Amino acid sequence: MKRRDFVRTMGAFSLGGLLPSPTVPYRLLPSLLVPMDDSQTDHLKAYGLTYRVIGAGLKAEWLLNYQGGAFLLPDGDAIRRDAALNGVRAEPVDAGRVTAIRGDIESNNMDAVPLEKAPKVAVYAPPNAAPWDDAVTMALQYAGIPFTKIWDPEVLNGRLKDFDWLHLHHEDFTGQYSKFFLIYSGMPWLADMVQRNSDTARRLGFQTVPDLKKAVARGIHDYVANGGFLFAMCTATETIDLALAAGSTDIAATFADGTPMDPDADAKMDWSQSFAFTGAHLEPNPLVATFSDIDGHQVNAGPRRQPLGAFKLFNFSAKIDPVPTMLVQDHRQVIPDFYGLTTSFVRSRLKPGVTVLADEEGAPWVKYVHGDLGKGTWTFFGGHDPEDPQHQIGDPPTDLSLHPHSPGYRLILNNVLFPAAKKRELKT
Amino acid sequence: MPRSLRAPSATLAFSILLGLQAAPLVGQAIGQGFELERAGRYADAAAVYLTTLRTDPANLPALLGLERVLPQLSRLAELLPLVQRARERVPENGTLRGLELRVWAQMNEPDSLEAAARRWAATSPRSDAPYREWALALADRRGFDEARRVLLLGRRALGGSPATLAIELAELEQRVENWEGAAREWGHAVAVLADLLPNASSQLAETPVPQRARVVAALTSADAAPRARRLAAEVLLGWGQATEAWRLFEQSIAGPPSPEIASALRRFADLAGAVSTPAGHRVRGLALSRWAELVPSPLAERARAEAVRELIDGGDRVAARAALERLAADSLAPADAKSMAEAALLQVLIADGQLDAAERRLDAESNLLGGDDRAALRLQLARARVARGELDRADAVLENDSSVAGIAQRGWIALYRGDLAGAIAAFRGAGPFAGSRESATDRTAMVALLMAVKGDENRELGTALLALARGDSLGATQGLRRVAGQLPPGSGRVEVLLLAGQIAARLGGAAQEATAAQVFQEIVSAGDTGAAPPTAELEWARLLVRQGRPAEAVQHLEHLILTYPGSAVVPEARREMERARGAIPRS
Repeated sequence: MKRRDFVRTMGAFSLGGLLPSPTVPYRLLPSLLVPMDDSQTDHLKAYGLTYRVIGAGLKAEWLLNYQGGAFLLPDGDAIRRDAALNGVRAEPVDAGRVTAIRGDIESNNMDAVPLEKAPKVAVYAPPNAAPWDDAVTMALQYAGIPFTKIWDPEVLNGRLKDFDWLHLHHEDFTGQYSKFFLIYSGMPWLADMVQRNSDTARRLGFQTVPDLKKAVARGIHDYVANGGFLFAMCTATETIDLALAAGSTDIAATFADGTPMDPDADAKMDWSQSFAFTGAHLEPNPLVATFSDIDGHQVNAGPRRQPLGAFKLFNFSAKIDPVPTMLVQDHRQVIPDFYGLTTSFVRSRLKPGVTVLADEEGAPWVKYVHGDLGKGTWTFFGGHDPEDPQHQIGDPPTDLSLHPHSPGYRLILNNVLFPAAKKRELKT
Repeated sequence: MPRSLRAPSATLAFSILLGLQAAPLVGQAIGQGFELERAGRYADAAAVYLTTLRTDPANLPALLGLERVLPQLSRLAELLPLVQRARERVPENGTLRGLELRVWAQMNEPDSLEAAARRWAATSPRSDAPYREWALALADRRGFDEARRVLLLGRRALGGSPATLAIELAELEQRVENWEGAAREWGHAVAVLADLLPNASSQLAETPVPQRARVVAALTSADAAPRARRLAAEVLLGWGQATEAWRLFEQSIAGPPSPEIASALRRFADLAGAVSTPAGHRVRGLALSRWAELVPSPLAERARAEAVRELIDGGDRVAARAALERLAADSLAPADAKSMAEAALLQVLIADGQLDAAERRLDAESNLLGGDDRAALRLQLARARVARGELDRADAVLENDSSVAGIAQRGWIALYRGDLAGAIAAFRGAGPFAGSRESATDRTAMVALLMAVKGDENRELGTALLALARGDSLGATQGLRRVAGQLPPGSGRVEVLLLAGQIAARLGGAAQEATAAQVFQEIVSAGDTGAAPPTAELEWARLLVRQGRPAEAVQHLEHLILTYPGSAVVPEARREMERARGAIPRS
């Protein structure tokens, strides 16, 4: 059973009431409760602790909506030591307390989801990318969750099947170097990016970088369709959909592939191929570092730039919609917004069926969305760095040890643990 | 204020509407249209505006109202004949001409747009308005290249001066993120109109970091006007590059004094006030000194006194003295300026090590100084005496000082004499808040150490700490180790050793680092209770990290966290562990 079936199955059972509640085997042995409300001393490292527990072959549970999305771990010296070293609050609870917790979960909008298999994590990033370039890499490093960096050759050589979870960050899948080509002309980092991408395209048999990136986007699309979990942030969200919808249409400016964008590109986009978006209009000006009207904030589009507000996480029914519930577990429901090359997603550009996980009330955009594709799922989260709202190129990196309670980073780590959730058995 | 290319035409039109709606007869009907428009009833609003135009074909508010509502109804084409009819009635009306251009642009008729603009230019051959409105209409449709072409065409047609339409070109270049081009155009604009400097400077302040060097280069090319250089200086100052800003600014004010130069100096000084670095203080002081030469008394004396303070804060004692001398020679200087100058001069004397001269002057001129200044200067002088080991003279300087800072300083003097009881009493008397946060923390840490040592007197400890105060860290380390060796366990031995280890670790160098590691090891392995062992282990780990031995550091940090879970240094230890593992960036 693939992951998407797991999602469906969970929903079906909860709706039908076919399983005894709570729907996971009771843990009556002494346990450690890792609260995730304001009493937690390091929210981000708590995910790492849980990941290592299940990575060691032990079973854990994610108590959705209970104390901010707490974790229930088996008790043991090694786990206590790990928690102490990492400053994670973990409270020993006896069988009686566990029973009481389950009672609470049963009678409220809560659920207990077993976590069994530590997902194998891949981060799509160029080989020379610094660890601080990307919020997810930072979160994984800080939490102590191992990951493998992959790039275009690995995607095109079929390596994605070795991983359960793939993260994309600020890659520009339209192959236009985030449209910094003209604005940052002459900067060494840009020259290196262009050189590296051009070399890779040639080596892999593509005439242009946009062609290469489209093929990579297609590879990632297939990975999800075959059961993979995709989490994307910042400009990767928008550009992967543009690359997929473009197909053979030229949507890249002359500097990227030697030919101008097809003047009828808008009309030729095939949105049936994309993950999340539909009907977007492309930005034709190569000097404006924005790609389309998918992004609500248009941070680099001069007068079109919108100010930052705050986004609000939605409440879902834990027993009926466990997947979105997992993705929005947090100790804060309203979170200050943060810019990225793609900051948010305009509502009218979302495909029907996309689940909105967070939005800015009253604004025409949403922040955090989720959906299914084939046997897999994807989640898109706008913005670059939750703790650096105005992030600019050249800014100092974020030090997560100063933000151990970051609610924005928690959302990233929810996605990392989500693939660890055990699919429930179908009893019909 | 120049018209901005960024301002949406509808906003402009709306402003005009508000300005004109007071006309009594049409006002009522137009007001209805406006209310309907506000309520989103565009078709009804359009009907009101059209009715108004039937009786008054050149009614501008009605035409502008239609410009706003008809596009919402996909009926823009209806507007064109109405505008043309109105234009024929009042051909000299620039707003109507501009409206006609915008309608052509919105209808995506570039040839007709150009023809209309050229007709307008032909009737007003000396006006830049036709080109500005033409370019604006194009830019609003994201036709930036065409807009640029039109503005350059206008510049040529109007005589070719680089300042013509420079503001519009600057804003256009900014809109397409060409900051270098924008800077060049702002340079042209300010060259002829100094009043534009604040606007230009605030626009260019937003330049992204990678493009800043090119912006400055564009404003300081060989043929750049002095005002363009001044603009570059202001922009650099806004980016915190104070010294470079002053260099450019100085070049821009060469020449005979003028009201413009005086006002530029004052503005530069005010802007520098926002730069809190020493360089920022220094250039503010320099600008105030120069400004003082151009303004009358008592403004000049006050400015000089302020300049002295800034120059001292900026570490430029030479310039500070020069300014002080001018002030001292000025018999017209008001009392507050003289007081400020006297305090500044004493600071300079103390910093230069002329303590006897400073002491004499402090006694002789104390009536010139305010109470706070006098107390602060006495404290500085006492500290300077301590740094020379002149404890009696330091005490004498503070003799009549009953301030908490003075009491705290007397505590240090007592400590350096080995009078531990006297030091503790003075530190307690001063309380935990006197002076800066750092000095308060130092005092509290010292009280903790002295209480651990126990006993009322320890001359060798005082001597070692005086060596530290005088900058002899090596001597202090050796002295503290000797003192620790003489103390029985449980009587402050590990605390004194910890201080010795911390000083040795700070000193650096293989020998001192080895000493520090040895001391830390001794403290940790002693298995003592209290704050010293975890602190020593943390310092040890930090030393290992600095020596490029992160794995060993991590072992110590893990040991610290697990062995002393209640220690106050555990959060710091975790952070250090993350750094040693490479999980967080180095800061």
